[in-house]
Amino acid sequence: MRRGFFKTRWKILLIFLAVAGPGIITSNVDNDAGGIATYSMAGAHFGYTLLWSLIPIMIALVIIQEMSARMGVVTGKGLSDLIRERFGVRITFYLLLALVLTNFGNVIAEFAGVASSLEIFNIPKFVSVPIGAFLVWLLVVKGTYRSVEKVFLFACLFYVTYIISGFLAQPDWGAVRDGFIAPKFELSTGSLGMLIALVGTTIAPWMQFYLQSAVVEKNIKVRDYKHSRLDIILGSLIVTLVAGFIILTCAATLFKAGIRVETAKDAALALEPLAGKYCSVLFAFGLLNASLFAASILPLSTAFVVCEGMGWENGVNKKFSEAPQFYGLYSLLIFLGAGIVLLPGIPLFPVIYISQVINGIVLPLILIFILILINDKKLMGEYVNKGVYNFISWGTVIILIGLSIALLASMLGA
Amino acid sequence: MKDMQEVGLKMFLFFSELLGCSVIDSKDEPIGKLVDMKVKLGELFPKVVTLRIKLRGKKSPLALDWSEIQSLNGNIISLKPDAEKKLKPLELNEGEILLKEELLDKQAVDTYGAKIERVNDIHLLIADGELRIVHVDFGLRGIFRRLGWIKIIDFLTNWFFAYQFPEKMISWKYVQPLASDPQKKNLKLNVTLRKLHELHPSELADIIEELDQEKRSTVFKSLDLQTAAETLEEVDPKLQVSLIESATEEQASDILEEMAPDEAADLLADLTEEKKRKLFQTMEKPHREELEELLRFKEGTAGSIMTKDFISIQEDKTIGEAIEEFRKTTHPLETTTYLYVIDKENHLVGVLTLRHLLLCVNEAPLSKLMNIHLIKVKPEEGVEEVAEIFKKYKFMAIPVVDKDERLTGIITLRDAVESKYKEF
Repeated sequence: MRRGFFKTRWKILLIFLAVAGPGIITSNVDNDAGGIATYSMAGAHFGYTLLWSLIPIMIALVIIQEMSARMGVVTGKGLSDLIRERFGVRITFYLLLALVLTNFGNVIAEFAGVASSLEIFNIPKFVSVPIGAFLVWLLVVKGTYRSVEKVFLFACLFYVTYIISGFLAQPDWGAVRDGFIAPKFELSTGSLGMLIALVGTTIAPWMQFYLQSAVVEKNIKVRDYKHSRLDIILGSLIVTLVAGFIILTCAATLFKAGIRVETAKDAALALEPLAGKYCSVLFAFGLLNASLFAASILPLSTAFVVCEGMGWENGVNKKFSEAPQFYGLYSLLIFLGAGIVLLPGIPLFPVIYISQVINGIVLPLILIFILILINDKKLMGEYVNKGVYNFISWGTVIILIGLSIALLASMLGA
Repeated sequence: MKDMQEVGLKMFLFFSELLGCSVIDSKDEPIGKLVDMKVKLGELFPKVVTLRIKLRGKKSPLALDWSEIQSLNGNIISLKPDAEKKLKPLELNEGEILLKEELLDKQAVDTYGAKIERVNDIHLLIADGELRIVHVDFGLRGIFRRLGWIKIIDFLTNWFFAYQFPEKMISWKYVQPLASDPQKKNLKLNVTLRKLHELHPSELADIIEELDQEKRSTVFKSLDLQTAAETLEEVDPKLQVSLIESATEEQASDILEEMAPDEAADLLADLTEEKKRKLFQTMEKPHREELEELLRFKEGTAGSIMTKDFISIQEDKTIGEAIEEFRKTTHPLETTTYLYVIDKENHLVGVLTLRHLLLCVNEAPLSKLMNIHLIKVKPEEGVEEVAEIFKKYKFMAIPVVDKDERLTGIITLRDAVESKYKEF
């Protein structure tokens, strides 16, 4: 009996890993500390009212990721490589600087995730964060990341608990339906910020760079491209499903009880219908996994992208002396990011949230570059964008810029 | 005013400083901006032959011969009288590249350091009325210069650390541009990629691994057969397949014939059945038969890693005759340490070492000297067992015999280690 149980589990894992391409992996990294915190807050503070936003976000996510993957397959080059070759060193430098700062915010968020998840077990951040940072650093420098990736990926099945908990919490399905089909929105600083954060956490700027590099590294041929497209659509569906259920569950539990999410303990209460008094333990485990998973990829991807664009040696198979900029930037991001989380009195969840708002503000900038490149006939040949793609992505750019301006205006007005 | 025709004028400048310079006609009227320059490769320090100028109010830039330039002053380029009438659409012939479109900010190979670098700037020299490429800037200083920060950075590093970032300018002699305009895909790039041939195959393999797919196959196709075969042996197995698939069937089978048979067999085993069959069809018979035999052995067995590149000698010969045979051997040898002694039916009867040949008198018969205590393996045996034998006996190579004790191949220590540690 027990054997059989393990056997089926093993089978599920194998099937999952077999289909997990760059799109699905990227999606699961996407549900990082920033994702979990932002979705929890969206549900807890706004109830079901922001659910509708997930549909346009999902459409934009599919379109944008498809573009990144298509560019990777057709050109065989990373995004920063293409930007450098097309726009020259000056624009590339400042763009990468903006990206590094944005990603740095995300790295801080991941370590804030580590700190807050382990605070549930009363482990102080002065212990958890340095250990977490060192672990992540070692994982990559020692080249053991690849083998651990599968563990991280498997642990992402944690998100299923939100789906179960969501059903057990017996949400008001009528309100859920209204949340999806009857968009409600007020022009306040709070809801504008939350909307930008929802976009920024689901379609994070760094993901486009990461996805394209992953596609290039996999050496996918143009003729196999349709599989990648499926992989991306599937990945985006998973992200949206998870996001939707986190929001729904938090709305049905936290929002109903009037709990504001300030710490991981608050957010964990959303899992109470499923796990009862063990909900904190379950949530802590999920948040820790998500944070460490993203913390292993994010600084690495950032260092890689920067070195690729600037023409410095990169890659974990190089020695430190061969690729000093690569390891320097990588280590700096991790240890400085972890260091900031250690500052006394820093509010962890708000920090995570703000980093996702910044993601949403920087995203249109990256999108503009992607759009110029993907419409370049010389570069993409017959694989340039079709009209619908341009329409939706330019629409996303304009809406995001509009939202950012509105946010700024409402902050100044308030 | 720096008049172009002024004899003896020598001046260095950076390409990035020239880009965007305004172009004025002979009446000092501004007509447009410099957007690119065309260079004819081939010479040691190649000449700029054409300027690309974007005229005011026009969308696509036009080309103008270098000889139409009167002078270069600061950031103004003055043309000769009536030069503007000679503007025409750009033509790009073989062996010509555009500096901005194909070199600046792109990847290039530093053949001196055997590395791929990114071009941060191009260092030009005006001498005797001609503009030539002399260096390529691969360094951090080039980046700072283009960002406009060089003075501040120099000041700061001098102030704090009494240090200045060093220049990293590489002479054009050692720079191989990797321009690959989509339209140029079909050109024979052998002329323009010539500098790569100075590299060792393992360096070439490293460089090929770092390139994108399209450049990878362009560079690979530019190599001569022998270099291509040696390079292919060195690259990652996953890339081997895509490289061999990028070549035509005829090229591919020629390259496979040049490769060490065991390496070629490994590569063939990774290809699809159809591709394999097509390659065999174009291959010469002896090569094909040898590879087919090697391919019959399952992966992970001794047979799959053995090679036929060894030397064997009849048992009734003398040392002198063996040396003579050695001298006459022209096919490649994976090891020269051992000579395998066989009887008339190709049964393995003994082993000699190079030392026997060097130390014994010419008249000595092999059968008296050879070592008859033989350690050998069967083709079906696992690689693990082969590794154990190497570990125990510390040989450089082990003979492989079939079920009738006939010598069919050898396994070298190198191949055994390689099969155990794929990345070796």
